[in-house]
Amino acid sequence: MPEPLLSVRALTKRFGGLVALKSVSFDVAPGEIFGVIGPNGAGKTTLFSCLTGSQRPTSGSVHLRGERLDGRPVWAAAHRGLVRTHQIVRPFREMTVADNVAVGARFGRGRRRGSDERERIREILARTGLAARARSLAGTLTLGDLKRLEIARALATEPDVLCLDEVMGGLNPAEINAAMALVRELRESGLTILLIEHHVHAVVGLSDRILVLNFGERIAEGRPEEALNDPAVVAAYLGDAAPEAAV
Amino acid sequence: MTSKRALEVAGMLAAAVALCLAPSYLERGTLNDVWNVALAVVLASAWNLLGGFAGQVSLGYSVFLGIGAYTTVLLALSGVPPAFTLPVGALLAAGASVIIGLPTFRLRGPYFTIATIGVGEAVRVVASGVSFTGGASGLRMPPASFDFESNFRAMTLLAVAVVWIALLVSRSPFGSALAAVKQDIDAAEALGVNSTRLKVSVHALSAALVGLAGGLFAINFQYVSPGSVFDFRLSLTIVLMPIVGGVGTVAGPVLGAILFGWLQLKLLSTPALLNSSLFIYGALLIAVMLFEPKGLLGLVRRLLARRLRRFYVDA
Repeated sequence: MPEPLLSVRALTKRFGGLVALKSVSFDVAPGEIFGVIGPNGAGKTTLFSCLTGSQRPTSGSVHLRGERLDGRPVWAAAHRGLVRTHQIVRPFREMTVADNVAVGARFGRGRRRGSDERERIREILARTGLAARARSLAGTLTLGDLKRLEIARALATEPDVLCLDEVMGGLNPAEINAAMALVRELRESGLTILLIEHHVHAVVGLSDRILVLNFGERIAEGRPEEALNDPAVVAAYLGDAAPEAAV
Repeated sequence: MTSKRALEVAGMLAAAVALCLAPSYLERGTLNDVWNVALAVVLASAWNLLGGFAGQVSLGYSVFLGIGAYTTVLLALSGVPPAFTLPVGALLAAGASVIIGLPTFRLRGPYFTIATIGVGEAVRVVASGVSFTGGASGLRMPPASFDFESNFRAMTLLAVAVVWIALLVSRSPFGSALAAVKQDIDAAEALGVNSTRLKVSVHALSAALVGLAGGLFAINFQYVSPGSVFDFRLSLTIVLMPIVGGVGTVAGPVLGAILFGWLQLKLLSTPALLNSSLFIYGALLIAVMLFEPKGLLGLVRRLLARRLRRFYVDA
């Protein structure tokens, strides 16, 4: 494996007596698509929150290009090139789609201004299929478009690592195919992607490697087919059913 | 777009010139009323930078008016001319806003508001207790420190300047970051907005403007006491004006300030209503919340839209 871009060591998060993440470690290489799956409540979203700094881990460390990120505010992670989307979409509802993207372009790592900023916004809206909605208020978009807007705003900050939290949840099959194509295209353009997804088919189809969490613990990690057939994973998802059923 | 901007610049300049020349064509009584409205415009529009644009509702703005007023009185008493006391008051008000903002901006929504009430009351109580403020009996400006015409020009120009600043902020990247923080602070931070620095900056800008108004307030009334400038009712009125006028817009706080300035003059000149100001303000606030949450500006826009629609349908 080449020099990791993102390196997570013994990351632990406790909420009172509940351990949401129990000493989770992994590395992500540049250009990789790294899937994170697990049953409800496994700690996937908490993992993203601790990576990007919206929550402070109880212990452990997160390094991006060797620079320590944990314990720093979430905007600092965005300025260093690590950005996330939100599972429950959080648009600025009273702004237009273009202005939503502008916030990322202006205050993210790129710090774009003026014509440079407008050019960047146009390019991202075209890439994410939102160009036709540029002047619509974000509050009027459909869920599919809102999920795309989450990705568009994150892209506007010019990240190296993009953490996508359930960007396919609630979408119809056609929208899921479009979203999968977009994720592949983003990787082609050089981004490294972390993907939380309930939709196992999408995660397997996209990821180079996956991490399986259950009750905050890593129960498997590796190539998607191997990890999913791991007996611990099968047991976590299906009790004692036959291994084939997991894929 | 550009012609609209040119029109705005022309309008601002015209307002500034008209107000500068007002002492030569208006009576003293009318000028006094205009001065009062101008003060209200400064307070409402400056508060709106933080409370309207960034959505951080502070009920502690009397602190900044008081700091501006006391700075001018105390420096004037030791012989410093107003040209120096006013900016010093603005700087001290901005400094105080940073000290207040750093801890209180960690709180969100109503908790922030409650904290600012606490800070405002604490400042009033301390100011009444220490001797350099003159205690409860206050301080008088040195004699012969008052020239009505220059004070009038300064206050009205400040009002025009504050509205202009609000207009510029509302269109700048700074303003878009404030809007993002207002609508969803976590999403804004995830996109790289340092919300603490942003809130502290806009608080300081707004406090400095209120501090300037405080200095002119002290010169105009020639007398400052903790009860007059650190009054909680003052903080409350500063919040009510933009909310009644149209919070988070540029024109709304101006409308609200004109209405409140006019109402206050009516109330003061009608003995039967002298003590009912808070009752009337409260009723206005409830009416706005129930019928037009976007304030007077929202009402005006709705009526204009209806008028236009009728015009085109009939024609």
